[in-house]
Amino acid sequence: MRRYQRISWLLILIIVTAALVASVVADDGPATQGERAYEIKSTMLCPVCDGQNVLESNAPVAAAIRSQVDDLVAEGRSDGEIRAWMARQYGSDVNANPPRSGVGALVWILPVLAGVMAVGLLILAFGRWRSGREIEPSEEDIRIVQALREKN
Amino acid sequence: MTALLGTFGVGIALVGAVGGLTSLILALASHRSDRHSRALFWIAVMVSGCVVAVVAMEIALLTNNFSLAYVASNSTESTPVLYKFATLWGALEGSLLLWGFVLCIYVGAVSLSFRRHISDRLVAWALLTMLVVCVFFFGLLAGPADPFGTLSSPPVDGDGLNPLLRNHPLMAIHPVMLYFGYVGFTVPFSFAIAALVTGRLGEGWLLSIRIWTLIAWGSLSVGILLGAWWSYEVLGWGGYWAWDPVENASFLPWLTGTAFIHSVIVQERRGMLRVWNLSLLLATFALTIFGTFLTRSGVIESVHEFSASSLGPLLLGFFAAILVVSVALVGWRGDELRSPGSIDSPLSREGSFLANNLLFALFAFVVLLGTIFPLIVESINGDRLAVGRPYFDRMLLPIGIALLLAMGLAPLLTWRSTSRQVLAQRALGPAACGAAVMGVAVVIGAEGLGPVLGIGLGGFVIGAALRHLALACRRNGWRGLTGRSGGGMVAHVGVSLLAFGFISSTAFSEEGEFHLRPGDTGSVAGHQITFVELTDTMDGPNRVVRALIDVKGRGGYSPAITQYPTFGRPISTPSVATSFVDDVYLSLIAIPEEGSDLVVIRVLIEPLVAWIWVGGLVIGIGTLLAVIPLKGRRSSRREDAVSEKAL
Repeated sequence: MRRYQRISWLLILIIVTAALVASVVADDGPATQGERAYEIKSTMLCPVCDGQNVLESNAPVAAAIRSQVDDLVAEGRSDGEIRAWMARQYGSDVNANPPRSGVGALVWILPVLAGVMAVGLLILAFGRWRSGREIEPSEEDIRIVQALREKN
Repeated sequence: MTALLGTFGVGIALVGAVGGLTSLILALASHRSDRHSRALFWIAVMVSGCVVAVVAMEIALLTNNFSLAYVASNSTESTPVLYKFATLWGALEGSLLLWGFVLCIYVGAVSLSFRRHISDRLVAWALLTMLVVCVFFFGLLAGPADPFGTLSSPPVDGDGLNPLLRNHPLMAIHPVMLYFGYVGFTVPFSFAIAALVTGRLGEGWLLSIRIWTLIAWGSLSVGILLGAWWSYEVLGWGGYWAWDPVENASFLPWLTGTAFIHSVIVQERRGMLRVWNLSLLLATFALTIFGTFLTRSGVIESVHEFSASSLGPLLLGFFAAILVVSVALVGWRGDELRSPGSIDSPLSREGSFLANNLLFALFAFVVLLGTIFPLIVESINGDRLAVGRPYFDRMLLPIGIALLLAMGLAPLLTWRSTSRQVLAQRALGPAACGAAVMGVAVVIGAEGLGPVLGIGLGGFVIGAALRHLALACRRNGWRGLTGRSGGGMVAHVGVSLLAFGFISSTAFSEEGEFHLRPGDTGSVAGHQITFVELTDTMDGPNRVVRALIDVKGRGGYSPAITQYPTFGRPISTPSVATSFVDDVYLSLIAIPEEGSDLVVIRVLIEPLVAWIWVGGLVIGIGTLLAVIPLKGRRSSRREDAVSEKAL
């Protein structure tokens, strides 16, 4: 039974590892210009339609941005250049991704800090609970136990 | 006349709420517990007043009474009856009337169910808290958000609701379900406040409100998913969740509420986490009010149309009051809330609940931060920035993966502590299930570490839940599916199905845009579509252009685009060829130019997306199963719980 269990776990481990490796290998990022343009468009917000990105929106300005992204990708501009160009053209809130510098970076940092703090508190709590369990027996406890032992 | 009736109804409801509140305050202050029941009379007055107001509004809507400003600006003669009926919750004032109505249903039901315990101070304080909330909402309806304002010169026809809100029957159900969830959390909140005030912090009151919490949670879950489904079927962009502030506003209380229904089990079982659980309940209710503030004050831009209004400061004030009272009460009772007991091992049932709660809290924090961050930055230095889907996707993916892991592990762990051997033996089946699902996913083409890991963990969760259900059913027959743990496991299966649909439709969808003439074909991801013909018809005053599209193997579908005379932009109505494998989502991009039959069709292929709705259904069924008590145990246990004054 024991052995059968061990072999099964090994098998599961192999399958999971193989699947994960395959998933990473297969995920080769944007292969074509079209895929790259698609990824950029999905992070550009339509300036006039409250939160929809330019892929989702049927507004004329969204269509304009879509074709501008296509053009810029075809020209061989980098992702960063295209984003900067769009921000100059339509305002910085066209980017669905908040900036990674200045005050805006806080939105990325705060959750990580909160996560670290939460885990830290949890470790602390477990430490306290564990130490709480190892209570030194008082003299009375020892006396009671001894009395019981002698009785038996 | 109907306006007068409605105003009268709201007035009576307000009088009832104030009367009930006053009578409870007087009775509690004079320690005359025999007088608590006087509040029941006033609650009955309040409920009747609210019913009169709702009926008056429905009469006005169904009879096209355009002398009412609300009807004139939100309804038209040509609106179909179902949507006339649903216009009650189509705009700001009416939606608050619905809020008041649902609140009345809950307060009425709580009063009925606890009428024998009305002399109990805890119940009296809970009713008092609920009545404070009622006074606030009926106060809004009586003044700043009066739905029964009249026009001196009524128009011949009204403006009508945004056409998006009147072309799908889901619009008639989704808001109601959502409100039953939102408003339902008033009940556990009130009991939490009552427990803090009376100092009865034991577990009794938790048991007596368990069913109410579950009903609120289940309604909110189903309500949110129905909203997602509506968005998918109607809005035409092929998505169902946009991390829009209004969606986030409904999601936040769901997150804290979900954390609560899990961590409360630790309290019932081990007496621990009292402060935490109370805080979660208080936060859940505060977040519903905060969400209402965000969406009804105009501070945030959103596709959901609740504009304007002077309600902002009032709602913010109410939110602040809730926060101050809650924090003060928890601080005041802090010492008594400290529980004995300890969690011995992280590898235990309570350890996994703790992990679950930490993750849910973190999840809620990210959603809240992302929602209000643009507001904060703009008020600090005037910069305008956006926090959109890519942010939420990136931050929430690791938390979601960790949650799935905790969700699968929890049912396998025992209380106190679990040895590695026991875990290795119990987890074998579920882990094999997860590995198999993962393997199959990769073989049929899934890629990317996050998605594949998520799908595998979904399989693990299903395995663990089925294992639990199989063991429970072996002991208790079909009743193994009921009760909190049975129903909970069914809900876990639903969440996994939902996760499959969510992950694969986000990570593996494909898209194509085609310019087609009749007879032309295009293909995306192995699906061939053929444009058959264009029809251009008038539906009453509205011009409807339809493109008949043949989806190979699925039949004919006709996405449409409609020009409403009362609404500027034409509205595109998608058509979806659904299957359990994938959806072919078709939408017409624009009305073709005059004399041309060239259409622009957007085609989205979304694998497994239908499983999101199936998952939602399973979650709903799970909640119902959890509410069904094991036979004969409920009432006695509840009475024990409430009448044990010693607690």
